Amino acid sequence: MTEPLVLGIETSCDETAIGIVRGRTLLANVISSSVEEHARFGGVVPEIASRAHLEAIHSVLNRALADADVSLNDIDAFGVTAGPGLIGALLVGVSSASGLSLALNKPLYGVNHLSAHLAVDALNSDHQLSPAIGLLVSGGHSSILKVSDFASDVAVLGSTIDDAAGEAFDKIARILKLEFPGGPAIDRVAKEGDASAIDFPRGLTNDSDHLYDFSFSGLKTAVSRYLQKVPDAKVADVAASFQEAVVDVLLGKAIAAAKANGMEALIMAGGVAANSRLRQVAAERCQAAKIHLRTPPAALCTDNGAMVAALTSLAVSRGLPASSLGLEAQSSTGLEQVIWR
Amino acid sequence: MTISLAIDTSTSRTTVALVQDGEILAALHHDDPIAHGEVLPRLVSELLQTNNSIDEVVIGMGPGPFTGLRVGIVFGQSFAYARNIPWRGTCSLDSMAAQIMESQFIVAIDARRKELFWAEYKDGVRITEPQVALTKVVESFTVPIYRETDIYPSAAHLLRSNADIREPIYIRRPDAYPAPAGVTFRAMNSMDLVTVSSLEKSIYAGEDPWSIEQFKEEIAAKDRYYLVAEKEGVVIGYCGVMMAGDVADILTITVDPRLRRHGIGREFLKRLIDWARTKKVEALMLEVRVGNDAALPLYTSNGFYPLNIRKDYYGPGLDARVMRKDLR
Ligand SMILES: [Zn+2]
Repeated sequence: MTEPLVLGIETSCDETAIGIVRGRTLLANVISSSVEEHARFGGVVPEIASRAHLEAIHSVLNRALADADVSLNDIDAFGVTAGPGLIGALLVGVSSASGLSLALNKPLYGVNHLSAHLAVDALNSDHQLSPAIGLLVSGGHSSILKVSDFASDVAVLGSTIDDAAGEAFDKIARILKLEFPGGPAIDRVAKEGDASAIDFPRGLTNDSDHLYDFSFSGLKTAVSRYLQKVPDAKVADVAASFQEAVVDVLLGKAIAAAKANGMEALIMAGGVAANSRLRQVAAERCQAAKIHLRTPPAALCTDNGAMVAALTSLAVSRGLPASSLGLEAQSSTGLEQVIWR
Repeated sequence: MTISLAIDTSTSRTTVALVQDGEILAALHHDDPIAHGEVLPRLVSELLQTNNSIDEVVIGMGPGPFTGLRVGIVFGQSFAYARNIPWRGTCSLDSMAAQIMESQFIVAIDARRKELFWAEYKDGVRITEPQVALTKVVESFTVPIYRETDIYPSAAHLLRSNADIREPIYIRRPDAYPAPAGVTFRAMNSMDLVTVSSLEKSIYAGEDPWSIEQFKEEIAAKDRYYLVAEKEGVVIGYCGVMMAGDVADILTITVDPRLRRHGIGREFLKRLIDWARTKKVEALMLEVRVGNDAALPLYTSNGFYPLNIRKDYYGPGLDARVMRKDLR
């Protein structure tokens, strides 16, 4: 069998994204973001995001097909993020995908957004897709996942009990009067600072009930208290020390999870995985722990359609059945299903 | 010979039809206000078993609750895109009106939050733009009203209109209004008087702006509540409300013109409403200049409805619309 040509649609948050892959080869990855429309609110506004998806989706589709140099009629299967995410936003992608698949009589796979973030690793190279621990960190999620099989068996070992890592970055950036989104801003400013200048707390690190869970709200409070106490603190030092605390906790727990589960690989994905300090420290610590670190390129770390196509393609290759007609978008879902039934 | 696939998801009913040159080949619907996404592909798939060679897609573009409305629009557009056939959007209210044989009437779709999307028709023609208003305002009109559940948009009737609407008929602005970032709100104090009155002077020049002394008296008077909005230490707007017996009256909501449409006025209004609630008054009133249509959606979306017009309220020829929000 030749490798399947798969088109994946992602609209769970503020990126309207479509990717096209053939087997495990990336052909197109087009993203239109409404992030600037949300900037003045300091967070994503669901209705603004949903309107933007509808406006953008067909031009994104046009460009993805042109980039991949394929015709819609050549597509063997469609994939779409069916959850978790903003319900109104998800529904734009799911309904568009349903329209395309019904019109062309091609199978449609509703896929889990969290798994898709890790499955994008399949496009990274032609290495074996061995079991791995996934560290998924972004504005919407912070989880440690156990990937036994990319298309059928992914489990959540732990997640944040309050803010997502990316949200913590956004909030601290706001306190430090840096721009939104906060991740890239702090990454940039922190380069000029001393990461050991301030010893910020590492949340939930000595809590056996929350071995793989995260908490960032205490860290946020610690940063604002520090700034009240030391109003003329050097912003770069605060940013660097905050970032160091986040990186330390994320990797400490992810590597512990890999060891405890006998996993030899760590996949790091999600928007925060683009953070340069996280990447640097991850490389050092994984090497020390003899764990194979796999990080998708930055463009495939944030929400994108290629990851949906990648996961769908794995499902098709494995001969998994397509989702049923009228699959249901689910805003809050764990990993009970990787591919919608 | 043209076969059209018609789709409407602007109400709690998902409705689809196949129409060939005005004749309905098949029509299906399903009632569920939150399941358009699941229902629509199933209904369309069933229709396609009747006839799979579609020449065009006709879509009800609303108005209607946004999330369900978009399901029909994006599904229809994507279907047309994949088949490389044209799509055309028409007004969902028109498809309701096309089913009614009466000389003058209103049709209305549930807009949630005790509001209706509505339009008025006369002799088969729509005579108003589709708009949104409190249900009780629409009910106060003397024209017969046909509401969702009395009647639904009909996919088959969408085709009666020659319209070609390319955008969803949203009417309301995006309905989430988070507090504006970087703006702080606090009570007005005497230190603000100079900046507030100079803002007042620059905005209401020629309209009898309040002087420093007037502001000073206002913030000192009892049963008053004045707030300022501050960004980076600069006052960029202010608002005030007073108790007047059983009702509270909003005296001003003023925002620096360069910073309008950033949700500051909305936040002011929200805080004034909260204050009025704590005073246990029965209603909150305000006056808005007739012709100042930009401010109207802010008030109507917060539950204010028009009461009456005060002639020459702002000076000769400058009428005010009095609006009221019930708090009990
Ligand atoms: Zn994501």
